[in-house]
Amino acid sequence: MAMPILELRKLTKRFGNLMALREFDLDINQGELIGVIGPNGSGKTTLFNLISGYYRHFEGEIIYGGKRISGLRPDQIARKGIARVFQSYMLYEDTSVLENTTRCCYLRCETNSWQSFFNTSRYRKEEVNQRAEAEELLQPVGLAELRDSLAGKLPYGYCRLLGVAMALATNPTLLLLDEPMAGISHDEKGLVINLIKKLRDQGITVMLVEHDVKAVVDICPRLVVLDFGRKIADGRPEEVTTDRKVIEAYLGVEQG
Amino acid sequence: MKKVIPPAVGLVLALCFPLVTTDPFILSLLIEAGVWAIAVMGFVAILRTGEFSLGQAAFMAIGGYASALVTINLGIPFWFGLVFAGIMAALVALALGVVVLRLGGIYFAIVTLVFGEIVRIVALNWQGLTRGATGLTPSAPGTIHIGSITIDFIASKVPFYYVIVLLVLVAAVVFWRADRSRLGRIFRSIASNETLAEHMGIHLMKYKVIIFVIAGFFTGIAGAFFCHFTLFMGPTTFDVWDSIMILIMGIVGGTSSVVLGPIIGALVLSAGGAYLTSALMVGMKPLVYGIIVIVVVVLLPGGLVDLGRYISRAPRISSLQGVKRHKKRGN
Repeated sequence: MAMPILELRKLTKRFGNLMALREFDLDINQGELIGVIGPNGSGKTTLFNLISGYYRHFEGEIIYGGKRISGLRPDQIARKGIARVFQSYMLYEDTSVLENTTRCCYLRCETNSWQSFFNTSRYRKEEVNQRAEAEELLQPVGLAELRDSLAGKLPYGYCRLLGVAMALATNPTLLLLDEPMAGISHDEKGLVINLIKKLRDQGITVMLVEHDVKAVVDICPRLVVLDFGRKIADGRPEEVTTDRKVIEAYLGVEQG
Repeated sequence: MKKVIPPAVGLVLALCFPLVTTDPFILSLLIEAGVWAIAVMGFVAILRTGEFSLGQAAFMAIGGYASALVTINLGIPFWFGLVFAGIMAALVALALGVVVLRLGGIYFAIVTLVFGEIVRIVALNWQGLTRGATGLTPSAPGTIHIGSITIDFIASKVPFYYVIVLLVLVAAVVFWRADRSRLGRIFRSIASNETLAEHMGIHLMKYKVIIFVIAGFFTGIAGAFFCHFTLFMGPTTFDVWDSIMILIMGIVGGTSSVVLGPIIGALVLSAGGAYLTSALMVGMKPLVYGIIVIVVVVLLPGGLVDLGRYISRAPRISSLQGVKRHKKRGN
């Protein structure tokens, strides 16, 4: 039995009286591709916000690679290998697509600020390499041709794809994808699905929050269903989609 | 190589200027402009991480007092006084930055503004150290003899002029390198989207504090230089109005460049403005400044550095080809 890479222990997040997440437990194994689904407001994005450190005050514990990461800052968590693709529009809008990706290569840097300040040959070499790496990252998301475009002017779907490339620029071992397929065309959806499969093959653990249940069922061997901040199902897609509680959560239940 | 030519020409012109005139009034204007240029570079560098410091003059005051006190009380030479001033201002910036940069945004601006007032009030009331409103009278650097050459800082303004040119050059090189290196990319990332930068592994506080401390260091040196030049250091030598002046010079010069904009802003507003005032009448200064600010902000939002680009009509972002313009979204 493989050791879980990510362990979530009794995660509870309150906003005033609202319990966005309650006593949420989950173990994720190395290399797993896990889909998180649930109706609107069921706590999916909150879950990501806790893991990535966006919210630092909550109850419960997050253990990543055997070490406790709850309470750390987002940059410390990113340094541990967790990258996140935001659900909303999250880019450096004032600069080019390529520069967006290059900026996210920060964690790949081996030279330090002093070397970069004095423009040493190692730093210059790294800059050239990093540019090439950034261009390479744009290839699989189909943005290579748009690399010089202004990120803020990209159509919505492309922003999501760019977000994925930017998250991958941090060399993650765990990727949190928050609705990467929302608002993109059918072709681009195929692109994202292929990319996710490729990442899984590379051994990157992927957590996928998605509204498109069909897409998730197709690619994720394991599904977790959230409703009102609770985990109501966890298992193989065919089990989960036939679960009565899941159907009730999605379709509602007749009163009386 | 091409990029080196304009700054090199600027430097040569600056170095040759005393050959044109050694008029003490004109040189004084330029020397003061140099002092402000350094302070404005610091302000703009901080601004380019997205933070708005309204207390930069306080670091000039700290530097000024630090240098004045050690040179007067301990008899340390002016040159070491300058370095000491920079270090003291940097230490204060570190202590202040670690606490206050957490706030960010408008809160940071307010606290730095208040900090400027605190420094002034402390300087006014700590009679034992600063002699209050009477102020301190630091001396000019001593005469230097190199072989048969004598450099006298009292007889002529030229030595001071060369010192400030050198200081501006050093500050410019440091801020320029910081901007062009990875640090600059990090600063731009933070300014552009803090949340994203943080999630991509950038420790926001670390880099904000770094630039705040660098800016504090040079601003402190500028303040120290100024008080040895004017031979006076009092609580109102650098006050809130001066912090606002730094802000105005930064905006007028343009914040899109970390070195050229501040130098242009300082030259136009400090030297140009003061010259105009003396030519017209006392009390016109705020009016002249006000008009310049309004004209620049309305006609050239990018500041005076944008003038060249504006005239040549070169597109600001030349890489928009290839963007499929879809319907504008509502955000």
